[in-house]
Amino acid sequence: MDLRSLLRPASQLLTPLRCLSSAPRAAVTTVFTSSRGHKTTARTKRALKISPHDSFLPSRTTEFPAADSIIYNPPASEASPQHTPFIFLPRNDPRRLAITRLRSTASNPTAYSSEASSEQLPPEMRYKRRQPKYNLTKEHIEEMRRLRNEDPLTWSVQKLARKFECSTVFVQMAAPAPPEHLKWLKGKLERKMERWGPKKTAAREDRKRRAEMLYRGEL
Amino acid sequence: MKRIRPSRWSGQLLQARCGAGIAAARQPFLLAARPQSTSSAAAHDSSTTTPIDSPPPPLPAPSFARAAQSAKLAALHARLSLSKKIPLQTLARALVTPSADANPNFNNTNLAYLGSTIVNYHVLEYLVCKWPRLPMAILYEALRAYAGDASLQQVARRWGVESAAAPGEEVDPGLLQWKAGEEQLVNTRWGYVRSDKAPAWRRGLSSRVVLDNDFGDQVSSIEAEKPEFDTLQSEAFGSVVQAVIGAIYTHCGREEVKAFVKSHILSRELDPSTLFEFKLPTRELAMLCAREGFEAPVARLESETGRLSRTPVYVVGIYSGKEKLGEGAGPSLDVARRQASMASLKAWYLYSPGNKVRVPSDMMEEGAKPWKAPYIDIGEII
Repeated sequence: MDLRSLLRPASQLLTPLRCLSSAPRAAVTTVFTSSRGHKTTARTKRALKISPHDSFLPSRTTEFPAADSIIYNPPASEASPQHTPFIFLPRNDPRRLAITRLRSTASNPTAYSSEASSEQLPPEMRYKRRQPKYNLTKEHIEEMRRLRNEDPLTWSVQKLARKFECSTVFVQMAAPAPPEHLKWLKGKLERKMERWGPKKTAAREDRKRRAEMLYRGEL
Repeated sequence: MKRIRPSRWSGQLLQARCGAGIAAARQPFLLAARPQSTSSAAAHDSSTTTPIDSPPPPLPAPSFARAAQSAKLAALHARLSLSKKIPLQTLARALVTPSADANPNFNNTNLAYLGSTIVNYHVLEYLVCKWPRLPMAILYEALRAYAGDASLQQVARRWGVESAAAPGEEVDPGLLQWKAGEEQLVNTRWGYVRSDKAPAWRRGLSSRVVLDNDFGDQVSSIEAEKPEFDTLQSEAFGSVVQAVIGAIYTHCGREEVKAFVKSHILSRELDPSTLFEFKLPTRELAMLCAREGFEAPVARLESETGRLSRTPVYVVGIYSGKEKLGEGAGPSLDVARRQASMASLKAWYLYSPGNKVRVPSDMMEEGAKPWKAPYIDIGEII
């Protein structure tokens, strides 16, 4: 161990000398040997030689040589909004009647099975959505308002929503805070925003702009 | 193509209509003084003081007598394959904007207003029948995309209309007589002027339908700010197209003008899906489904790739029950869900009965099949 650590600096001292002495010899050798090895050719030529997908080849179902056949192989792309989904079609639209007829024929492979379970559909995403419970009465709302007016600091929107098992939006609508409290909250937020540095401010603005672009369909 | 021979046209076609524009009886004095154009009253007073043998002041725009000699006008007439019923003089008048000659008897104001009503009517009936569910704001923008000044300017440029460096008597009558002056006499606006006291929030969509002009733009009595050069230019070029259409209607009638509008304006392509801007697409879709009695929309993750990488892609589909409404892809679950909601909403709004829709004016043709009512939507999602 000690010997190696001693030897390494010595060898590092020697290497520039070695490079200098071997440089003209190396230049001569490169003339005779190709820099491209077997590996490069395999990687750039042979490995990329893939036979085309079957859908690109002419149909072999008919006898060879087949008559003129159309190769239809569109690239995967986003669905166009011009294609109206089935339930968006009005009642007397001919497309609706045609799809209904198509679905009713059981022999068709694209037949729509009404008894198909939801397991065949892709998994549901988890996100916040409206789940109405209708569990609150008039007394509950009066109680909620009283609490919010008495001590809006303790009985925040979140806390009231948890207590009454309803959404925060409902609390904000049913029991709005007194105006002084709202003013205080606004001032607090403004003071907080003043402390933001340039990076955070710019990031927030960019996020807002990105959302607008998304809603305009530019993203 | 047959050669146009204006010399062989009958005199009746070459005469200007006596009832065009403001009745001539209203300004006999002015017309007698200057048969070709107008001047303001003050200028006329000054001309009375000048001696009679002095040369008359130059006309603001080329005389119509020179229209038959203009190669440019004949070329434009032939290029548009206009009917022989439309004289070159009318075409020359369509090229004189009110900024060059303020007299409505000699400029294209009246023809342009007539033409604009025809264009807007044909475009609107087409849009309403083709995309019956378009929201009003999008309908206005679609109308502007077809019949707005900027689009009509493009049409005029493709026809080969060029503007003169400056309008004047000596200019070729085949050039557009237009200048970006200080004061513009715009008398083709039509709408109600709102009171200045009305607050800004009064400008809702319903009031735009009732009070404002064809494109839902506010008509103001006072020109608060001077319009820009580009606006004035597109207005001038657009008025040429409108005036030519008005001239076709005046000389040839309804059928011809409909065919002309169809081939020159409605043939332009517009993708209305690019006009949308949403605010809360997920909520709007939920409200749509509630209104129409569909099951509440549910987002489902169809496929994903690279969840732990820097650039993941999620494909989300929106389902109402077992029916798929739309699909969207995005770099995050939330963005993909919003994209999918917007795609579903666009699929609702862009429902079209087909590419060959019948419009009400088709019934004017002889031997038309009995009218079948088009699809009429119950209205926007509120």
